[in-house]
Amino acid sequence: MTTSLVQRVKSKLSIFAHRKARGMLDGEYGSVFKGRSLDFEDLRAYVPGDEVRDIDWKATARHGSPLIRRYVAVRRQTLLLVTDTGRNMAATSADGEDKKDIAVMALGILGYLALRHRDVVGLVAGDSAGSRSLPAKGGEAHLERLLREVHSRAGLSVPPSDLRVQLEHVARNYRQRMLLFVVADELLPDPGMEKLLRRLRAQHEILWLTIRDADLGAPGEQYDVADSLVLLSHLAGSEEVRRAYGLASAERTAGRVGMFRRLGIAEVTAGSSHEVVPAIFSLLERHRHGR
Amino acid sequence: MELTFWWVLPMALVMAGAAFWWGLTRYKQGNARRRPVAYGDRLTALPEYQSAVRRYRRWVTVMAVAAGMLIAACAVAAARPAERSTVRPEQQNRDIVLCLDASGSMSSADSAVVETFGRLAQEFDGERIGLTIFDSTAVQVFPLTDDYEYVAEQLEEARRAFDGESEAAGFLDGTWGGEGSSLIGDGLASCVRSFPGADGQQGAAQPRSRSIILATDNYLSGNPIFTLAEAGALAQESGVRIYALNPGDYDFGSDPGQPGAQLRSVAEKTNGGYFVLDDPEAVAGIIQRVQATEASRFQGSPRAVVADRAEVPLAVALLSGLVLAGASWRLKP
Repeated sequence: MTTSLVQRVKSKLSIFAHRKARGMLDGEYGSVFKGRSLDFEDLRAYVPGDEVRDIDWKATARHGSPLIRRYVAVRRQTLLLVTDTGRNMAATSADGEDKKDIAVMALGILGYLALRHRDVVGLVAGDSAGSRSLPAKGGEAHLERLLREVHSRAGLSVPPSDLRVQLEHVARNYRQRMLLFVVADELLPDPGMEKLLRRLRAQHEILWLTIRDADLGAPGEQYDVADSLVLLSHLAGSEEVRRAYGLASAERTAGRVGMFRRLGIAEVTAGSSHEVVPAIFSLLERHRHGR
Repeated sequence: MELTFWWVLPMALVMAGAAFWWGLTRYKQGNARRRPVAYGDRLTALPEYQSAVRRYRRWVTVMAVAAGMLIAACAVAAARPAERSTVRPEQQNRDIVLCLDASGSMSSADSAVVETFGRLAQEFDGERIGLTIFDSTAVQVFPLTDDYEYVAEQLEEARRAFDGESEAAGFLDGTWGGEGSSLIGDGLASCVRSFPGADGQQGAAQPRSRSIILATDNYLSGNPIFTLAEAGALAQESGVRIYALNPGDYDFGSDPGQPGAQLRSVAEKTNGGYFVLDDPEAVAGIIQRVQATEASRFQGSPRAVVADRAEVPLAVALLSGLVLAGASWRLKP
């Protein structure tokens, strides 16, 4: 790999920042934690996404344009990136990209936003065989290390995916309140998972990004990463199977969305790395309004 | 059953194995060009997909079996299954002269003889047949010939004459000119002389078996030039076998002078046979037996014959090819 993963994330962000107002994401990220300290640091110009209640109205009246009060965080917040590096991540996404590239992009963007807010970023990643956790630290070099861990770990030869192992690891080993950013794929929700998430939700802020999986009815030969069996796409293309598949996947999505709604966890989906930045933006937005 | 090119089979086996191995590695490497996807059970768990796969698998099985059978059958056919057998070819170079006593007492037996030969002539291939009828003088109706159409026509005519149909009565003209009637010795001598080469040219060409079917009751009335015994000696000399059919053997006791016994001794001297005809219906059977004896007496040297027997494998190949075509049409994506 020639370019660093963080570099890639930054260039993606800069493209986005040109299109929308610069700093918008920063504002959104900054409002994720309600429990920041109120030690005033300075004023800065308002950008869309900032909490309205942070506006310094007097200063604004003097200045003529909205100004935001900035506070010094007494303690750094911790962003814990939780993701799956099992075999599923080596599969392709809805738009044909590797799922792990999208995951790295999403993790990188949120991690980078956290670094800009002088927060520390940690990682819990793994597969059904176990989880690895990297301690929360600041600095781009550390973020690069985390992203590389995710990028190099996921492959076709690693054990199958099971995100519950990682979530349990988080539930067991982290006592402090954190912002969890979970990047997963279209997993099938079940009561056990829901219970586990409810438990995590009580302790942490949770942001969830779902990478959309490839459409199995699409033309072209495909095989399942779980068992290397070929999917007979020409059979999947038949009218009857196509209809049943459409129904089943709508039901699956509805089940997942329903679980997150019940839990009050903001969830967005992304099918390609181009969708990641807007997806994270709307994720932060929804998280803010979600309660 | 043996295989002419037996080595085709191991070769085909090796090649089929190599093809199978190649296909398997290609299938295994095939995932490199396929897209990996997660949660394949989103599709594979669907009952609709499973039933489609079952149908597909059934057709693929049919196709695989048909292809395997096609290859196997083609390999077997290419190995040339052949049947090696030794045959003693029956040489059909017999000459048969029908020598019929045209006296009134004989007509039913004569009729049966000509009718039987009329039927047999349709199956002849290479045999020659002649017809001579005699009463007081002998008339050669037709000489030895293999023009079976003509033979059949003449024999039919003869049958009608012997059956007493009026419009065919002229057929027997010329047999009463001499003195007496039923001059059997003369008649038989005429028949013997009607074989070619009797005047010393014999052996020029391929030897042909010679036989005479002599139908007579041996009731002589008159004074023949040849006695029956003399005519028999002539036949023996010319290598002609006489098969005598006697419809009226009324011999009593074992006196060799009686007509039946004379006829028997003459026939047996020429290595022929003597048959008593109780019933004209039996003629057909007797003639079959005579034919069979003649055939077994005159067989060629045994020869090994190798005949390709590729019908079964080729039929199997055709059938499985059709099935294969049908299945691949059915599986057309």
